[in-house]
Amino acid sequence: MKGFHLVRRTNVKLWQRILFYVIGILVSLVIGAILLSTLDIDPIKYYRQMMTIGLIENKYPEKAIEGLLKIFVPLLIVSLALSLSYRMKFWNVGGEGEFIVGAIIAAVIAFKCSSLPGPLVILLMSLAAFIASGLIGLAVAFLKVKFNTNETLVTLMINYIALYVITYIADTKKSWNFFLDKESARPKFAKFPDPAKMPGIKIGNVNLLYSVIIALALGVIIYFYLKSTKQGYEISVVGDSTDTARYAGMNVGRIVMRTVFLSAALVGMAGAFSASTAATISTSITNNVGWTGVIVAWLSKLSTPGIAVVSLLISVLQYGCQAASVSYGSVDHNFADLLQGVILFSVLVADFALNFRIVRRKEADNV
Amino acid sequence: MSDLELITLFVFNIVVYSIPLLYGTCGEIITEKSGSLNLGVEGTMAVGAIIGYIAGCRSNSFLVAILVSFLAASLVGALFAFFTVTLQANQNVTGLTITTLGVALYFFIGKGLSGMGKWPVLSSSDKMVKGFKNIEIPGLSSIKFVGKAFFTHNILVYAGVVMAIVLWIYIEKTSMGLKLRAIGENPAAADSLGVNVNLYKYIHIMLGSGIMGIGGLYMGLNMSGSFEGSNCWINGYGWIAIALVIFANWSTLRAIGGTFVFGFFNTLIYYNGPLANQFPHALGWLTKIPSQFYSALPFIITLIVLILSSVRKNSSSGEPAAKGINYYREDR
Amino acid sequence: MADKTELAIELKNISKSFGSVKANKNINLTLRKGEILALLGENGSGKTTLMNMLSGIYTPDSGSVFIDGQQVTISSPEDSVRLGIGMVHQHFKLVERFSAADNILIGAKNKGHFLLGKNRYKEIEDIADRFGFKIDAAKIVANMAVSEKQTLEILKVLYYGAKVIILDEPTAVLTVQEIKKLFDVLRKMKEEGHSIIIITHKLNEVMEISDRVAVLRKGEYIDTVETAKTNEKQLTELMVGRKIDLNIDHPRIEKTKPLLEIRNLSVNGDEGNLAVDKLSFYIRGGEVLGVAGIAGSGQKELCEAIAGLRKIKDGMIIHGGVNIAGLPPQKITEHGIAMSFIPEDRLGMGLAPSLSITDNVILKKYRKGKGPLVDRKTGRAEAQAIIKELDIVTPSTEIAVRKLSGGNVQKVLLGREIQSAPNVLITAYPVRGLDINSSYAIYDIINQQKLKGVGVMFVGEDLDVMMALCDKIMVICHGRLMGVVGTDKITKEEIGLMMTGVLNTVNAKEGKTAGIARDSALTAEEWEEGLEYAAERAYAEEDDASGERGRKAMTVARGRSTGSKRKEGADS
Repeated sequence: MKGFHLVRRTNVKLWQRILFYVIGILVSLVIGAILLSTLDIDPIKYYRQMMTIGLIENKYPEKAIEGLLKIFVPLLIVSLALSLSYRMKFWNVGGEGEFIVGAIIAAVIAFKCSSLPGPLVILLMSLAAFIASGLIGLAVAFLKVKFNTNETLVTLMINYIALYVITYIADTKKSWNFFLDKESARPKFAKFPDPAKMPGIKIGNVNLLYSVIIALALGVIIYFYLKSTKQGYEISVVGDSTDTARYAGMNVGRIVMRTVFLSAALVGMAGAFSASTAATISTSITNNVGWTGVIVAWLSKLSTPGIAVVSLLISVLQYGCQAASVSYGSVDHNFADLLQGVILFSVLVADFALNFRIVRRKEADNV
Repeated sequence: MSDLELITLFVFNIVVYSIPLLYGTCGEIITEKSGSLNLGVEGTMAVGAIIGYIAGCRSNSFLVAILVSFLAASLVGALFAFFTVTLQANQNVTGLTITTLGVALYFFIGKGLSGMGKWPVLSSSDKMVKGFKNIEIPGLSSIKFVGKAFFTHNILVYAGVVMAIVLWIYIEKTSMGLKLRAIGENPAAADSLGVNVNLYKYIHIMLGSGIMGIGGLYMGLNMSGSFEGSNCWINGYGWIAIALVIFANWSTLRAIGGTFVFGFFNTLIYYNGPLANQFPHALGWLTKIPSQFYSALPFIITLIVLILSSVRKNSSSGEPAAKGINYYREDR
Repeated sequence: MADKTELAIELKNISKSFGSVKANKNINLTLRKGEILALLGENGSGKTTLMNMLSGIYTPDSGSVFIDGQQVTISSPEDSVRLGIGMVHQHFKLVERFSAADNILIGAKNKGHFLLGKNRYKEIEDIADRFGFKIDAAKIVANMAVSEKQTLEILKVLYYGAKVIILDEPTAVLTVQEIKKLFDVLRKMKEEGHSIIIITHKLNEVMEISDRVAVLRKGEYIDTVETAKTNEKQLTELMVGRKIDLNIDHPRIEKTKPLLEIRNLSVNGDEGNLAVDKLSFYIRGGEVLGVAGIAGSGQKELCEAIAGLRKIKDGMIIHGGVNIAGLPPQKITEHGIAMSFIPEDRLGMGLAPSLSITDNVILKKYRKGKGPLVDRKTGRAEAQAIIKELDIVTPSTEIAVRKLSGGNVQKVLLGREIQSAPNVLITAYPVRGLDINSSYAIYDIINQQKLKGVGVMFVGEDLDVMMALCDKIMVICHGRLMGVVGTDKITKEEIGLMMTGVLNTVNAKEGKTAGIARDSALTAEEWEEGLEYAAERAYAEEDDASGERGRKAMTVARGRSTGSKRKEGADS
């Protein structure tokens, strides 16, 4: 590119941003459509069925809403939680592991404390999961602050260690293993006792779980936490410039550790919610939310309202694919992952096009 | 069978199960040596595996399978390079997205073809079967026990070990390898001497990804090319490969040994349960340990290595200093 | 004018901007074949930027480059190497983990070097020998001394056949003996037909080594003179410019006793070098003390040390009778010391560029107030007050600071520091990159603070401004005090000579050492004791890795000076 170079563009207008993103998403859908047509699937029909998440032509549309929310709640909480770390440029990719640890700890409480009244059990489950996963985050943050240990790789390793812990619990039929169903001959996770099940309120035909309300409330709380509290303020300053944070007398290490604790703890709590909602745990309890959360956080540029919107859209995508797989057996939830990835890449290209422009170099007249 | 024969079989299996890791690890090492941390190994291997496999079966040629898996995976690598080198996007996010995307593409293709009844069966492609058959190395394979354990393997096993050695020579002993290492350590230094940093990054990210793709193909063939809707052929090997890079201290030579150690744990997983009675009695206690522990062991060991090396800050580490950091010349 | 064919390099109308900052404005420069050209200029005059365009790191926005009379385009370091230009950067571009030979061979173009054999060390050593260097080619860079690294950088440039060699501040990191050696090398290279550009601001070195001197000032080309036909005085004038009478107010009020007293302060720089060297000075209330010095003479380290952002190696900082050396930044702010530093990129230190004006205004006091919430209401009111008072042009208080123009960014920073009602205001380069009107607005702010009885320390670049604005000017050179002089008693040229280390007036006045107040808050004995403890502390910290003893000594030193304050209170 002789004679050309890139110049950073300033003052991108909001409408330009939206326009570029919409184009990016459209391009992604076109790529998806091409892939679908290779399987002899009519993309328009498929997309219609996907976007309506099985609400129409369905005997029980309320089930569709409930199913969507079951995907939405963990995704929202995990994305919000991860975004807290990313705001400080701390690469917590341990969502999967933290989620599993939260779910396991919640299950312990569910089985061991079932004599307590319902709401209390769920509160305890959430709290225990919150603390357990939080401590993992704290440990990783401590290593990062103290020894500059690579947090990406550490959290990555923790994901798999946690995965094999839950696999071990799932596969080991032993008398001590209270997680498993005593009745079943093959190892199978037991159902939680009733008090540990996530309750809900009926709105029309829809059973609206409290976890949905809590997740939404959490979104609002995190929004205000970041926007209005001293701790939230510290996060923004540290995330913007650690030099400036030190100049203002902030203890950067402590702020990082506190925030990563919170980040991991919330992921753990989402794990507890998922366990309580399903009234059991499984080795696939995360439903890849730890990975999807990274994509959602990134797509929404770490903005809290953005995360709410994007995680809803991604949930529609994921649940829609599930719903559509009823009619299209050969396309399953993986198509949602595929689209997700393509959308993220399209948005990255859109961002680049928004932020840079190519400039031709001027040559002075030869004298 | 005698214990010695069982051990021979056991070691033979270690080699069979560990070699794909060697491909994944070597691919990631050469990528990281160029200063890029590519977390997309799992997805890259998956894409290389399925596309290479299908192409090989369709054309009934093992060579085509290898070439196409290499090419398909290096195109995935090109995607990673485009986003992180040209567009300066975050490497972690790009890598994770590559994994999501690659694995999803694997299932999309697999399920789509299976759904249409077009999934190619390995046995219908005689050249593919033949290409992946075990080859006895004349002379060496007749050495008692050792010959059976190490010198009666398929061509990709031998090629993998040779590749690791060649890569080591390339990285450590050639002038291009020197440029590559310089870029991974201090891209500004290489740039100032006229090394085309971006070109080098592209080439080595793509080369590394292509190598990962061949490892993926190996795994597919090792599963006899049978597509299952629930399990990906790669089955987490991509992540173990990333861990192994750290364990091997960024040396493809050490990766051979590291692969064997991690392959040892992996093989023990299979000897837990149905194969337990086939295990040498002297080592029988190894099968008493839950298999999940062996599954987790590569990650536990890597975690410990990671923490210890950062606490010690050892200077002999082969970790590229500029790994994970995008390079932009005009940054001040 | 020299014949065109005699020119190794000719630059015509080169311009380069970074955002809104014009680093180079229509610069013309010529380098003759086989000469040593010194590129002289103050901090921020654009020397390095200009040279980086020759080395391919930056691309000029406009202008043309001629090499051996041919017009060329340099769009990458590759081009630059190919055209025979080599640059030794101030911050070495070396791979720490590689051997000397490997660092050189990084750029090798594959002829006969496909494999790296053991013979490469010998080969490189032989080549080094031919250029007159003795090096250990197998030595790892991380184990090298600074001068060795520099030799390696020069060798690297020669190895690739550079005809034109650019050295950016090569003597900054060297000892006197090493400088002498370097100059011998440069002369030898010149004899062998190389053309050399040396970026420097040390006048004695310019006089010693160069054939011609090109001077830049504030991003503009001033002139090129023959070294033999000039002298240090003329060069200083060219570099700092003729005295211009600026119409800056200079109100005078009664000065108070010293508010801030600094004695024997030593601070290390980022590279572990001594950046501030046994510096002593004081600031009274109601005066503006200018700090003059050439780029990187320790200004930044001094400011950071006072504000508690940088570890102090030795010495004392007395404020209100208490030693504040080593206190955390927050405690120093509570003492009423405010610091604003505009770095070269004009953002960064002290500002969070993506945050709003309000959020930047509350940076140092967000902890105030009960409860977990940040008091943005007061912050917003204060931001509004600052905007109004300092005429900041912005659509609202909630806009990200990054989006404001340079002058407004600086006003926000200064406004916040003033808002905290400090008794000592330290401000470094507050008008960096600003236009005249914005600059005057900043001078007014500083004068207002002075009239309120605040002690102001003004670290500046422009001597004319400092002569007009400041009551006294302290000149530092390589972190050492060269003298403190009243602005009504000195000429700009004298300051220039002090800046370059030619003139030292510390002991010029009989019976009074510059930088030591007669009416100090502490007695001579107390200073001595305190400094002894401080020195012991520094010694202990070097000696004892755990720093246990050091901390103890520091507490003692601090306790003592607190004690002396009480005593003084009783006396008066």
